[in-house]
Amino acid sequence: MIDVHLYGKLRRFASNGSPDSDSVVSMPHREGDTVGSVVARLGIPEADLGANLFVDGHYADRRTPVADGARLGLFPDDMQLLYKWYFRPKEEGS
Amino acid sequence: MERILRVNMTSRTATFEPMPEAYRNRAGRWLTSSVVHDEVPATCHPLGPSNKVVFSPGIVTGTASPTSSRISVGGKSPLTGGIKESNAGTGWGRRLARLGIRAIVVEGQPKEKGFWLLKVDVKGATLEPADAWAGKRLSEVYPALFARFGGKAKVDICAIGAAGEFRMAAAGVCFNDQEGRPSRYAGRGGLGAVLGSKGLKAIVVDDTGAKEIPLADKAAFDQGRRKLGAALGEHAITKPKGALNSYGTAVLVNILNEAGGLPTRNFREGRFEGAAKIAGEAIFAGNKERTGAELYNHACSPGCVICCSNTWHRPDGNEHTSCIEYESDWAFGADCGIDNLDHIAELNLLCNDYGLDTIETGGTLAVAADGGLWRFGDGKRAIELLHEIGKGTPLGRILGNGAVVTGRAFGVARVPHVKGQNMPAYEPRAIKGIGMTYAVSTMGADHTSGYTIAPEILGVSGKLDPLNPDKAELARNFQYATGFLDTTGHCLFIAFAILDIASGFEGTVEECNGVLGTTWTMNDVARIGKEVLNLERDFNRRAGFTALDDRLPEFMRVESLPPHNTVWDIADDELDRVFAP
Ligand code: SF4
Repeated sequence: MIDVHLYGKLRRFASNGSPDSDSVVSMPHREGDTVGSVVARLGIPEADLGANLFVDGHYADRRTPVADGARLGLFPDDMQLLYKWYFRPKEEGS
Repeated sequence: MERILRVNMTSRTATFEPMPEAYRNRAGRWLTSSVVHDEVPATCHPLGPSNKVVFSPGIVTGTASPTSSRISVGGKSPLTGGIKESNAGTGWGRRLARLGIRAIVVEGQPKEKGFWLLKVDVKGATLEPADAWAGKRLSEVYPALFARFGGKAKVDICAIGAAGEFRMAAAGVCFNDQEGRPSRYAGRGGLGAVLGSKGLKAIVVDDTGAKEIPLADKAAFDQGRRKLGAALGEHAITKPKGALNSYGTAVLVNILNEAGGLPTRNFREGRFEGAAKIAGEAIFAGNKERTGAELYNHACSPGCVICCSNTWHRPDGNEHTSCIEYESDWAFGADCGIDNLDHIAELNLLCNDYGLDTIETGGTLAVAADGGLWRFGDGKRAIELLHEIGKGTPLGRILGNGAVVTGRAFGVARVPHVKGQNMPAYEPRAIKGIGMTYAVSTMGADHTSGYTIAPEILGVSGKLDPLNPDKAELARNFQYATGFLDTTGHCLFIAFAILDIASGFEGTVEECNGVLGTTWTMNDVARIGKEVLNLERDFNRRAGFTALDDRLPEFMRVESLPPHNTVWDIADDELDRVFAP
């Protein structure tokens, strides 16, 4: 399983979405999952997604692999406040 | 004509001097750090007669440039023992700039006890006794001073609270926002205590009758201001109803929590289970529930188009406090283990009332909880402790002197500080880049000293892969760019937009040219930033700082931080390379 924590306008994709508690979707993991494939399965429009994306607390992008048991944190385009240059993204494929 | 107002508190005289030629084109942080560097003996006692407090509005402050009403305050810090520049957004600096006053330098020390108020207007500057205002909460002092001096349309006020009068190292310098609230702080580094040591309680600035700021090249100014305005209006973070306008900086609570870098319970963990309850979204939703309206944030100061400053409302719909910034929200929230926004709001309000820096104060409470003085999460007890500071009780005197003093008093080894200043809301073990900034900053652990700027925008030498940069070079360029932005008078938050939209950054430089008549290009950004940093580093060197002060505390190297379970592992020589490549 994967836990996807959704924020801001993305919370609407969680059935328990509320602005002052955790809005989490638990979904089955699929072989070869990436942030992009998980986002697509949730039906989140590409344009709504910002650059503050996290996999297990690591700064990620759409191509970042997602392992079984991972925690994703997805923030919309109007919430990407964390300064991205502070992070090294995880090596692709690692 | 540009002037410097020199206020001697020993003789209680205020005199105007022409702006020295050597300081031509300097303003904001560049000017405060220049004066402190040139006039303050680096080894002086921060609370003694040789220290000075310098105020300077930025280069474009007071003009029609967007988001540019910052005032820089400088001096030798009683918290760090090094140089300090702290800035705030307020109309106060605009009025000063319109009066043609490039800087106010407050020096000396009265022999007799007491407090004074400085009134500045077109006619000049006068000092009068202010003992009547001493010991009072700033939420009483400000309305009374506005009533006395003609209202908030006419004047803006700078003041210190009880913490400054007590000369506490966590005391900030307060300015009012556009509604006249005593809520905008040049908070960090204890400069409120330095003003307190000089007996200067308040400075009231009235610009009635002042002329518009002259522009050396109006076409360049207008072009620059339009380019910057377009970038701010278009970027997702800075545009109307964008991230800062809707959620304020407190949106970062959730983001840092996801990143595993939200320091929790005195930097023991990187995630806080109560984060969602105190984040920007919860503030927005709570206000909506309590007021029945969707409240978008307001501008703290005239001419800001980003408008990130929020309010929090009580259950009955009345306003409780403004502004719950990310740093304040975190300091009293996650760092103290408190997940109740009403308690956080009260702690924020009390800091505004007593004249305290919220970051240092929250961080100090967290250290005290680690030392067993109170239980993490007990918001009611935290509020009582804040009153101890405001009353100046012996316990309050300890807490009001910051995290390091409190750590010593309670035998705590886990004190997250650099150069004596408590770390702000980003965990360096999770976010190594900011750890480098904390370590080498001239200001002590400070998130704003290297918040900005992509290396390729700065046009630095060599080609950097932005996603895998040389960390030392990056940290250096961050600091230079910030040194420049703090000189322009712009709020650092313009960096979000001008970082992504290069024409916005060009516009910022062109505006400065428009005001000054200079021909600066993007290359001058790094040059000026470097000059500012060199002055500050030289002051600190003369004050006794060495490379060994550019370090994070030991516990971060040995205690690993969940959820990443990492330690601080950046080598010392990499830190030393930041400024000595
Ligand atoms: S962006 Fe926020 S902090 Fe900066 S000047 Fe505007 S309202 Fe003030």
